[in-house]
Amino acid sequence: MTSSGGATGIGRHFEKGKKKKKIPPRRRRRRRQRRLRPELSARRGASGRARSAGQAPSRATAMAGAGGGGCPAGGNDFQWCFSQVKGAVDEDVAEADIISTVEFNYSGDLLATGDKGGRVVIFQREQENKSRPHSRGEYNVYSTFQSHEPEFDYLKSLEIEEKINKIRWLPQQNAAHFLLSTNDKTIKLWKISERDKRAEGYNLKDEDGRLRDPFRITALRVPILKPMDLMVEASPRRIFANAHMYHISSISVNSDHETYLSADDLRINLWHLEITDRSFNIVDIKPANMEELTEVITAAAFHPHQCNVFVYSSSKGTIWLCDMRSSALCDRHSKFFEEPEDPSSRSFFSEIISFISDVKFSHSGRYMMTRDYLSVKVWDLNMENRPVETHQVHEYLRSKLCSLYENDCIFDKFECCWNGSDSAIMTGSYNNFFRMFDRNTRRDVTLEASRENSKPRASLKPRKVCTGGKRKKDEISVDSLDFNKKILHTAWHPVENIIAVAATNNLYIFQDKIN
Amino acid sequence: MEVQKEAQRIMTLSVWKMYHSRMQRGGLRLHRSLQLSLIMRSARELYLSAKVEALDLEASSPPAACPDPRLHPPREAEVPAASAPPDGEPPSPEPMDTQEEEEEAPPRAAETLARYSPRPTRVSRKRRSSSLSDGVDAGLVPSKKARLEEQDGAEDASSEVPDRLMPPPAQAEGAFPNLARVLQRSFSGLLSRGPVAAPTAPPARDAKPACRPADPMLSVLVRAVVAF
Repeated sequence: MTSSGGATGIGRHFEKGKKKKKIPPRRRRRRRQRRLRPELSARRGASGRARSAGQAPSRATAMAGAGGGGCPAGGNDFQWCFSQVKGAVDEDVAEADIISTVEFNYSGDLLATGDKGGRVVIFQREQENKSRPHSRGEYNVYSTFQSHEPEFDYLKSLEIEEKINKIRWLPQQNAAHFLLSTNDKTIKLWKISERDKRAEGYNLKDEDGRLRDPFRITALRVPILKPMDLMVEASPRRIFANAHMYHISSISVNSDHETYLSADDLRINLWHLEITDRSFNIVDIKPANMEELTEVITAAAFHPHQCNVFVYSSSKGTIWLCDMRSSALCDRHSKFFEEPEDPSSRSFFSEIISFISDVKFSHSGRYMMTRDYLSVKVWDLNMENRPVETHQVHEYLRSKLCSLYENDCIFDKFECCWNGSDSAIMTGSYNNFFRMFDRNTRRDVTLEASRENSKPRASLKPRKVCTGGKRKKDEISVDSLDFNKKILHTAWHPVENIIAVAATNNLYIFQDKIN
Repeated sequence: MEVQKEAQRIMTLSVWKMYHSRMQRGGLRLHRSLQLSLIMRSARELYLSAKVEALDLEASSPPAACPDPRLHPPREAEVPAASAPPDGEPPSPEPMDTQEEEEEAPPRAAETLARYSPRPTRVSRKRRSSSLSDGVDAGLVPSKKARLEEQDGAEDASSEVPDRLMPPPAQAEGAFPNLARVLQRSFSGLLSRGPVAAPTAPPARDAKPACRPADPMLSVLVRAVVAF
């Protein structure tokens, strides 16, 4: 059941509803030991980041240095090498297998993916192998379950897709893990827990669960817990439904660990994690007359430390920061981030490509990053009139916007992510390329997620796209880019230099080479 | 002319995309519908502006003639004469106004025609209906053309005049030449491949049937807005 990459479909091992997975006995001891070690502190302070006990201290220190002190070690100076690839090799990709979201948990030990088929696959990082001290743990399938099923809205006569739009982990409070997953309409809270004991010796049931003949019960006995093969089960704990008229685009867990927000095209709701039958509407931009609609909400996120602050972005490329203390319905924003449009770069499609597809706070909470179609911008929360950094992701596509409109690519929603120390950012592009920007050195690199170079520990070669003039050797021309291969979802391990990149139905995991 | 053709192609493509997004699993996406309507509006404005410019050139207007007919003296004089509200085209049209206008265009056009039929140089504020009434663009909105013919047979003959005097959208001012350049540049590759390419050339296989029934498409657009 635990596939270690290669040609195994990541979404293949699933059962509907509650999923139990047997784990071979040899791994049981290891897991028990792990459970005994001090758990990772879930709440991250503003000053520093908690570190899992299993990580190599030297690496974490190096990362901290890279972020804080302007040390040259940054996004570009990483030596990224291939680690694993998950998913089928077939050319023929089933729609349901396309990965629609990727998310590390707070410790980075678990990695969740959601797909268009409504499945959630969770990978767990194996512990480091003592016989190969330099090799870091691989991610293997830990649990797979069907989170959402296709539904039908009979009132609107519309099918509700099962596609997982977003997954967000909750900070870990006990031995179990919790995550929120959402499709277009319904958010679900899942508990992923391990079980290695079962009760035996019931009075009315025998070992197989059959009822015992009452006449043969002659004595009462106390059931006892007996060890058994470790099982991982995922069970739905809460279902938050019927609160969104439009499609849910994002969810974000609050730093108070008790509430979360969910945003659709026109409204943002605030939920308590325990309460499913009510939510509070905190933002509503729906005009009284829908013909006056000029923009929609595209993403929303809570501040990582201030539980009263959240931001949301619009299809016009603007970001609002709201303080929930000011009023129940955050009609008025506290801050409004917008970059004045450069009239010289205005074009036919400029209104379309300025929509923000993702907004992410830095771990420190000082900055936020927004991704629009052609660029990624870093904003200082203290400066509203322009971003502190603008990085071009694929500027060479500016002249191709008409074709990209024709093939619908212009509507693609690219996500972006920070590294653990906020010193580097990553986002996807086309042709299975993804981009990394080092904020300290201002350098960037284009890398490719491909099976061709997927030998273990093979270094990733930087790729270059020819942007006019003569095409040099090793460069790829803009016309030969494959727009069907797009990397929309990426995730960076919260502490270490491990990245997960979703390329259609494959999940690539790369890591920084250890010197 | 090239700009005009491309703008027309984008408009058709947008309509086709809107029509198809209705059949998409999971229903219409508000964000996508909004984006499509924005593109369609921009394309329409570009198309109409290009048309005005082309006609101005053809008519070999005096050197003082400005490509922007709003600066044309006759136009200025006739604005008060028009019965339609002066802000028939809002300065920043809402994304959904495309559909609204299409929906309302025929009756309003008829009203205008009835009132101003004796005047050869009347100003039609119904840009869409009047500009599309000549044969060249009939493919875009055939139903509108048919209605106009029924109502006033002479409309076709005089349609060019209102076209010339038709006000381009307020937004296009200043941005228009730039837009045109950008479009021309980006489309030059496509056009050189096949200048006589069908105006509706969506990449998908089922493009043909989708582009034929223009009228259902337009009503779909209206419904799309109403749905939200």
